[in-house]
Amino acid sequence: MPASLWLIGPYFLALVVFLALPLSNVLQLSFYTYSPITIWTTDLTLQNYHKIFTPYFAKITLRTVRIGALATFFCVLLGYPLAYYFSRCSKRSLSVGMFILVMPLMVSAVVGAFGWIVILGRNGLLNGLLKTLNIDADSSILYTETAVVVALVHFLLPLMVLPLMASMEKISMRLEEAATNLGASPLFIIRRIIIPLSRAGLVSGCLLCFTVAISVVVTSALLGGRSGRMLGNEIYDQVITAYDWPFASSLAIVLVTLIVIALSAALVAARRGNRTKGMRS
Amino acid sequence: MSHQLGGEGGQCRQSERPCIDKHGEPRLEIADLIRRYTADVAVGPISFSVREGEFFSLLGPSGCGKTTTLRCIAGFENVDSGAILLSGQRIDSVPPHKRGIGLVFQTPALFPHLTVQENVAFGLEAHKVPKDEIVQRVGAVLELSGLSNFGQRMPHQLSGGQQQRVALARSLVLEPPLLLLDEPLSSLDLKLRIQMREELRNLQRRLRKTTVFVTHDQTEALAMSDRVAVLSQGHIEQIGTPEEIYSTPISRFVAEFIGSSNLLDVEVVGFSNGHLDLATAAGLRLKTRSPRMPIATKATALIRPERIRLVLGTGAAASPANTFAGEVRDMTYLGEDVHYRVLASQSEMFLVSTNSGKPNSPVVGQEGILVHIDPNDVFLLTK
Repeated sequence: MPASLWLIGPYFLALVVFLALPLSNVLQLSFYTYSPITIWTTDLTLQNYHKIFTPYFAKITLRTVRIGALATFFCVLLGYPLAYYFSRCSKRSLSVGMFILVMPLMVSAVVGAFGWIVILGRNGLLNGLLKTLNIDADSSILYTETAVVVALVHFLLPLMVLPLMASMEKISMRLEEAATNLGASPLFIIRRIIIPLSRAGLVSGCLLCFTVAISVVVTSALLGGRSGRMLGNEIYDQVITAYDWPFASSLAIVLVTLIVIALSAALVAARRGNRTKGMRS
Repeated sequence: MSHQLGGEGGQCRQSERPCIDKHGEPRLEIADLIRRYTADVAVGPISFSVREGEFFSLLGPSGCGKTTTLRCIAGFENVDSGAILLSGQRIDSVPPHKRGIGLVFQTPALFPHLTVQENVAFGLEAHKVPKDEIVQRVGAVLELSGLSNFGQRMPHQLSGGQQQRVALARSLVLEPPLLLLDEPLSSLDLKLRIQMREELRNLQRRLRKTTVFVTHDQTEALAMSDRVAVLSQGHIEQIGTPEEIYSTPISRFVAEFIGSSNLLDVEVVGFSNGHLDLATAAGLRLKTRSPRMPIATKATALIRPERIRLVLGTGAAASPANTFAGEVRDMTYLGEDVHYRVLASQSEMFLVSTNSGKPNSPVVGQEGILVHIDPNDVFLLTK
């Protein structure tokens, strides 16, 4: 057996035991019938999937995708300049900046969410600031979708910046100098050199942000209130409160499907980047 | 294609920029340029001017300030004092992307995600040149560079030499008034380097493109340049034609840096018949053709190895001036040339270079040979 297989073997085994088997169990369960007494019976049904298309759950699914997309979009917007700065700055600024950036990943999501409650709450820091500035716009961001997006951007930003940085560091300063020498303005260089060459980092950053964002539970539970509920919250409630495990399973399968779609889109995007290279040659 | 590549007067693009092309007018002037890094590390003051159509080299060991000077001209380094004038206009505060000066780096620095064609078109697109004109100009410059068949290739599919040619084409397509080359050949292997050297020189002559070439390779500088500036520790030691630099160096540094040389510390001990008598510390007496100098003046005598003759025979006393009994101590066979280390008069070791394949060539350990140095070939340096 080649040595490489020995190297991935243990992890592969763990994946089968702890991911593939439970997941196939969930898939199976999602076709079973709910029973108030035994939780489920083995009668096969599509009822659980039909239920997802009722307005209430369809709305939650759409909201989940929307929150994920918005959070990813703002991560790109904030992350691109940051990643560029980090890939070009001094070692010292890098270590300080990295520390600040990665902080939210090291703090528990509960603590992070609580921090945002303090800031966004009715008597929180944001409204206090608005009041002192005499702006009469009592913000009611807390317990809305917006609060979830804000907290998610804060939490997910490092997942966008780190892969972007990795691909930007590989863009030699010489390339930028060569482009400048050829008369390219900074904006032209960003558009024609930096963005195309950091595409791989952008794709993996987006994938990481989106998949983590749509499967979040704690953040939306603490900050989203009723109008910010996501698939994760619904699954949690179905399992813990309603005891409708078959329906919870079908919701989980929807979530997994969304992630698989995102992953495929990322693969296509990455491959198209390579193909334009190959086709022109 | 010549109207784009500017065979004759094309260095001057349209007429946005007043352009001084009259013969003898300097294209580039550097006046007292100083670039400070820390309190005690600085380049300059450096002053020189490059004439229209000239191939001008900055030659020196690493760290002498040649690349810094070039980067100041291109605008990638700030100038702390002094002035840079292009066609009579000050450019030292113009941002680098508006200077319009071509620069080719040591590494080709091609854009890896663009084809050869797109690489060459990049600058034209940045200047918002119309599409069909871009196609035409890119085609012309690729043909000129011998790259017509490579337009659709990606940079990684090209050899090192081809990549460097694309980098050059990418600069030339913009018809820059001045071309800067930062050791563009040093990443190539020897054979290709020599071939590219000739190619580059021919292209430069054909386009009459004013060029500043930075190199640490003295052979390269001598072979390609109209004039060479030898730099040392942030200042210019000497500016001259390759011939002047080689045969009449003004300092020990230049003599040592250009070619191989025998350098002897000597003292003036007499003057007769238009010849100075010199004595080395080891007691060897040399004559040189030179104006009178005061007795006891200390100087350095430079004798190029290919100027020393080795003759089989004895009887040094009866021979003309500067003939010494010698003994071959060491010999290096280099194919075309043979290098000898010869001890003359049991006192001074000389490096002697002769063509190989001569009859009666001396061998190691051989005694009974005469070392002859013409007094005209002993060059006295006082710096």
